[in-house]
Amino acid sequence: MSDAVDVDELRTWLEDGYASSVRTAYLILGNRPDAEDAVQESFLRAWKFRDSLATGSSFKPWLYRVVVNTCNSKLRKEIPHRNRRRPDDDLDDVAMIDDPIGRVTLSHDVISALKDLPTHLRVVVVLRYYADLSEHDIAIVIGRQPGTVKSRLNEARRRLAEHPALQSEAPRPITVRKESKS
Amino acid sequence: MTTFDEQMMRRALQEAADDFVIADGAIGRILDEARDTASRDDGPRIRAFIQRHGGGRSTVFAAAACVALLAVAVPLFNSEGPAKPVNALGAEKKYVHGVALPASSNPEFTSIQGTGSAGTVATTGSSFTPTSGHDTLSVTTGVDVAKESSLRVEEVGTIHLTVGGKHFQSTLLQLTDFATTDGGFVASTQSHMGTKATHSYSTGSIILQVPEHNFTMLVDQVRHAGVATSVQTSATDVTGQYVDLRARIAASEVSRAQYLKIMTRTNSIGGILAVQDQLNSIQSQIEQMQAQLNLLNTETTYATLTVAVSESGHQTTTPTTKRTGVDKAWHDSLHGFAAGVEWLIRIAGPLLFALLLLTVLLVLGRWTWRATERRRGGIG
Repeated sequence: MSDAVDVDELRTWLEDGYASSVRTAYLILGNRPDAEDAVQESFLRAWKFRDSLATGSSFKPWLYRVVVNTCNSKLRKEIPHRNRRRPDDDLDDVAMIDDPIGRVTLSHDVISALKDLPTHLRVVVVLRYYADLSEHDIAIVIGRQPGTVKSRLNEARRRLAEHPALQSEAPRPITVRKESKS
Repeated sequence: MTTFDEQMMRRALQEAADDFVIADGAIGRILDEARDTASRDDGPRIRAFIQRHGGGRSTVFAAAACVALLAVAVPLFNSEGPAKPVNALGAEKKYVHGVALPASSNPEFTSIQGTGSAGTVATTGSSFTPTSGHDTLSVTTGVDVAKESSLRVEEVGTIHLTVGGKHFQSTLLQLTDFATTDGGFVASTQSHMGTKATHSYSTGSIILQVPEHNFTMLVDQVRHAGVATSVQTSATDVTGQYVDLRARIAASEVSRAQYLKIMTRTNSIGGILAVQDQLNSIQSQIEQMQAQLNLLNTETTYATLTVAVSESGHQTTTPTTKRTGVDKAWHDSLHGFAAGVEWLIRIAGPLLFALLLLTVLLVLGRWTWRATERRRGGIG
């Protein structure tokens, strides 16, 4: 009886967070099957250990933490030891559907640059610019100090700005400019 | 400071992620999985949608750790009692040499005088001149206790025999008969027949190999075949080495079986190659140990007795064991030095003679030349 209630609770979690979680995992991992697998695993794990979520704590960063940890685990243990998935699953091949050329090119270049980032930098970029988490929440998700998050974000921005895919042609949607430190 | 447009980054990531179409029924599958895990007593187990290949390596490493543990543990459990002194080859040495006492009434138990202890290697045996025409030499190998079938003892010996000139050939034949009668064989033989014309003596040596349990009997027979001027025997207990080798082979075979089992479960090429490497290494070790075991088997099955036979009146020389390695190099060097000195001494005589002759000729020549000059001056 209690399990049935809990499964309903899981359904609520999934309806609220599955899409964003699986897309976040997709951006981190770089392919669809791994992202789906990671998120399924993450939700089941989060649901299993739901009691560990302290009262008053924010659910969203906690869930993201489980997702990111699962993605990191896959990147560390599984993905390096097996053949790459079918090319059409990779972020390299973001669908060239009927989108305007500029949009597709933008996505392709950004994703290409993103894939060249080390995992720990890619994670903070995705959480910051896709999941729209604050630096404080990102710190909770990755289990580091906010200062570390800030430092990693700065490093990621610097590398992205210097990435050839985002510099080679002009005009580019992402532009590099000089500005004073804010 | 270099930076980039954050809004553009947000938009690009959003657009890339929007291309990811959420699969129909994904949420339903997760809920089904959750219901399954909730209904199981042993807690939820997560089933992946994709096949995992990377886990195989962890399995290989875990199995390899088990195999390594087993390989260390088995020889330890198979080892016998406290450690005994061993030599460089890992074999316990037992050696007996010294002056032999008159044979005891009980041939199975004779007292021993002389030096020798476990873990030492004897250098020389005793030699003596027979007195009162009767042989007072008795030989003990000191390893009668090692005759039990569980023990592995490597026995070797050397006997110098002096025989009358007429009996030289017959003695060699008699020695051959001893070996064959005792179930053994003649490993090698070498002889030199002396003649009165050249004033040389007959000498020879014969190497006999007999089953280890007949060694004592053979020694006894041989020393009565002539006048034994020296007897030297040694025995090495290699039981520990033998048992250790067998245990290591057994452990390695278990390891090999484990790796073969792992091989059948490994899917990745890297894993298969890693297991194959381990298998090759283990196979090589097994073959090396098997060869050592076979050698030990041979050496402990047959005992070796070297008999040097010489005609009466000939100064016997102790047959030396075949030298190898640094020992051989050192002796070769000494031999070369001695040969060089010998050559110098050999040529010193003729050289000195030539020098003296030259000096005399010079003196004579000078004297003749002066006499001639003087005569010419007198004439002039």
